[in-house]
Amino acid sequence: MATKSKRAPVLFRPASRLTRHVLLIVFGLFMLYPLLWMISSSVKPENLIFREPGLLPHDVTGANYSGGWHALKHSFGYYLWNSAVITVLAVVGNLVACSLAAYAFARLEFPLKKLWFTVMLLSIMLPHHVTVVPQYIMFSKIGWINTIWPIVVPKFLATDAFFIFLMVQFIRTLPRELDEAAAIDGAGHWRTFVQVILPLCVPALATTAIFTFIWTWNDFFTQNLYLTNSDNLTAPVALRQFLDSSGESSWGPMFAMSIVSLGPIFGFFLAGQKYLVRGMATTGFK
Amino acid sequence: MTLRPVEASTATGTAEPSVTSAERAGGRRPRRRKSSRARSQAWAGYLFLAPWFIGLFAITLGPMLATLYLSFNDYSMLTPPHWVGLHNYDKMFTADDRFVHSLKVTTIYVVVSVPLQLAFALGLAMALDKGLRGLSFYRSVFYLPSLLGGSVAISILWKKIFGTDGIVNTFLGWFGYHGEGWVTSPDTALWTLIILHVWTFGAPMVIFLAGLRQIPRDLYEAARVDGAGRWRRFRSITLPLLTPIIFFNAVLELIKSFQSFTQSFVISGGNGGPVDSTLFYTLYLYIKGFKNYEMGYAAAMAWVLLLIIGALTAVNFLMSRFWVFYGDEK
Amino acid sequence: MKRILAATALAVVAVSATACGGGDDGGSGGKTKLVFSYWGSDSRQKLTESAIAAFEKKNPAIDVEGDFSDFDSYYEKLATKTAAGDAPDVMSIEIRGLAEYAGRGALADVKGKVNTADLDQSVLKAGQLDGKQYAVPTGVNTWPMIVNKDLLKKEGGKMPDDKSWTWDDYIAASQQMTQKSGEQVWGTEYNENPAFLQVFAGQRGEPFYANGKVGLSEQTIKDWWALLQKIIATKAGPGAAKMLETGTKPDQALLATNKSVYGSWWSNQLDALSKGSGQDLELLRMPKAPGASASGMFLQPAMYYTISSRTKHSAAAAKFIDFMVNDPEAGAIVLSDRGLPTNAKVLAAVKGKLSPADQKVAAFMDSIKGELSPIVIPPKGATEMEDILKRATDSVLFGKAKPDDAAKTFLSEANGALTK
Repeated sequence: MATKSKRAPVLFRPASRLTRHVLLIVFGLFMLYPLLWMISSSVKPENLIFREPGLLPHDVTGANYSGGWHALKHSFGYYLWNSAVITVLAVVGNLVACSLAAYAFARLEFPLKKLWFTVMLLSIMLPHHVTVVPQYIMFSKIGWINTIWPIVVPKFLATDAFFIFLMVQFIRTLPRELDEAAAIDGAGHWRTFVQVILPLCVPALATTAIFTFIWTWNDFFTQNLYLTNSDNLTAPVALRQFLDSSGESSWGPMFAMSIVSLGPIFGFFLAGQKYLVRGMATTGFK
Repeated sequence: MTLRPVEASTATGTAEPSVTSAERAGGRRPRRRKSSRARSQAWAGYLFLAPWFIGLFAITLGPMLATLYLSFNDYSMLTPPHWVGLHNYDKMFTADDRFVHSLKVTTIYVVVSVPLQLAFALGLAMALDKGLRGLSFYRSVFYLPSLLGGSVAISILWKKIFGTDGIVNTFLGWFGYHGEGWVTSPDTALWTLIILHVWTFGAPMVIFLAGLRQIPRDLYEAARVDGAGRWRRFRSITLPLLTPIIFFNAVLELIKSFQSFTQSFVISGGNGGPVDSTLFYTLYLYIKGFKNYEMGYAAAMAWVLLLIIGALTAVNFLMSRFWVFYGDEK
Repeated sequence: MKRILAATALAVVAVSATACGGGDDGGSGGKTKLVFSYWGSDSRQKLTESAIAAFEKKNPAIDVEGDFSDFDSYYEKLATKTAAGDAPDVMSIEIRGLAEYAGRGALADVKGKVNTADLDQSVLKAGQLDGKQYAVPTGVNTWPMIVNKDLLKKEGGKMPDDKSWTWDDYIAASQQMTQKSGEQVWGTEYNENPAFLQVFAGQRGEPFYANGKVGLSEQTIKDWWALLQKIIATKAGPGAAKMLETGTKPDQALLATNKSVYGSWWSNQLDALSKGSGQDLELLRMPKAPGASASGMFLQPAMYYTISSRTKHSAAAAKFIDFMVNDPEAGAIVLSDRGLPTNAKVLAAVKGKLSPADQKVAAFMDSIKGELSPIVIPPKGATEMEDILKRATDSVLFGKAKPDDAAKTFLSEANGALTK
């Protein structure tokens, strides 16, 4: 046993910084090929996108960007704004509602806890393609079609069980001694939650915020269904308007605007990822 | 000896700290502490869960049960539902070869792509965790594919890679291989979707990254002082302390990939072709419901899927007793 | 438990009640509000929005809201809305959806509400079911062969005589193009579209559908597959995997990227193909079986305007459709976007404004007028039939099934879907 642990698998041997950089860059380029192709296509004249298969464009044009920006009823910025409003509300909703529920499931004992936890998990096991019909009927009855409520309100009611489960798992990695110390200091559940647990869950909260942002930003299915008025469209729905699967699609503007709408999510990711890795440096574990 | 993260730091290094699952399971039974807090906890539990309860009863549960009801009906959506009892379920298991086929396709997809993707995500999360300049940049770059994964453009982009004239074939051409497109050949189409799934490893990677940071640094330092090498530190600190997160990712990826829809929908053009080779369960369900106007049948399929995923998740949870370590347990 | 039961009951009631309930009347400020649903891309949206504006100008009391989505999600949205009793007042539907919606009572009879006197009466029949006029064709299409004349000339081929050419001629000509170009371009691309099979079968006097079932014989289906296999085997065209890559998308077609000399597409796709190719594309009659008396070619409505059976504004809805198909002002905006107009007066008025490609289509349709086979309306289940045909065809072309077995499977599965 002792001798076995001396020689580590290749992956775990220290590699020189340079090799690591080179490996990461080569691998990154490989991973990013599709994106690079899309960027290159977005600056090609539209009729050459499929005629000219190479990665490097011959003549570069901004026509797809300027054309795509103004191709629809409103400028594309209008749809980005619509998306932003929904997305920010969704992020706030998920952060608040899911962390509350997660604290209860992870730290508190109450009757029927296991049953409710099972119900929560079951609720993400049913494909939404079938629940969407009764759900649409329901929202239609209360007059919420063509408003953002069917998309935003559920987030404030913690219907994204994914994130509850995520935070439960994170909270459970934290030692109980922390809560107990807080309790000895006279903190109630609310104070323990806000002052002890939440600050230690920053990576989980960041994960929740990032995923909610990205998934809501990219969510075509629900937004397409509930926001049909051409003034309410969001960016992913607007993007589809460039495509006609049986006729002539505007691929150039589609690629260009796809890249534009990647901007906010990429930016959010860049900004959020530093919280992602801001864990507990040390703990009073011992 | 039993492994505790605290003990790992004091291990002498003469023997590899190891732990059998039985030992751990035995030592980890959650204890119920009846205290004065019990009653207040019950109240607090329901208060903290209040938004979730409202959501459950007002938004989630109704439509779920409505689809359960619909699964016993013939429902075209254009006309009112018509009660047919168990007919949909009966047909599924006795008279629908495509149902069985879609289950098979989905199972292959899940069994191959979930472990691959998780291993990939964990490996990269560790490579991108710390110790190098520009890691935040790399992390973002490696996340980018996941942003593209569900977009409509992927149908074109994937053909640029795995199509007849895609880069894979160009590359193979240098070695004298000239083949058909991979995306549109019945024998290989599913594998390109599996690669696509692995390619979008960003979500579990991010969760792993966050999880890695939950591990107290002082444990590593102590282990290093004790002369534990990289591999030992990985085996006896990182891996056990990361188990709740690995478990979470495994459960969630299993659920999500059983429900995989967008990628085969976008890449096969909505029919699961060629020759049903990419007919995922949820895609078939969608085709039945929205293209063939058999929403009752689709609802029945959805509940069968729920039972399948539910059973697998239950097994997952049972197994977790033997390998998942929680910091909150004593 | 009680609460759960109550929630179930509520949801169930909601599902069943709304399915027969009425829609939202949504009158705003004394104006009648119409919702008009359609699919397409940004260019169609622009045209439609300006046609709507023109209509609203003429009818200030009516406010039309366009409900627009891409084709892939169009029917899922439409069905969900219909289920909720929110069906748009005016719906665009294509031919495969007609029987699905009309057969389930979702559409209203427009006879006597919309003036159809000036429309091509034979095409108008394609909107009738059980003696009722459920749909008004927006325009018309045909399924021709298309040739890239520039590429043909470059590779040293000569224009075929499309009045006499046979399937064998077509394959030989295509094979020659592949060879002469050193396999740089393909002679032809092909397509699994049922329209192709319909032309092929029509030449043998077999209608695609008869009495609510598939009207094709097993032999005809097998012969059609044999034709496709021959194209692949002789290298007249590419393999099946390559063909599936471009699928039904004209902008990625081999014709549009100048990678093939021949190919067949819907006539209203010529414009997109020409734009992609940048070269001179020409329409031809489809090749024929030797000695066939019929050309098999047919006209088909590109799509229809229909009125929801639950609309509260059927008069306004009829007015809108009437404007879209009969008013030259609308015709001048929409042009051939929804197929070539079938109202002769509108067509004459807008002919000069059509794109060069569409002018070719108009001239071509004129020239084949006397050779057309009748229009067939697919019965309920036609969308599913199309998937079944595609599956069977692919299984043969990829060597996964023997043509004999595949043809039998296709017929039994397709008839099962149609008679459901």
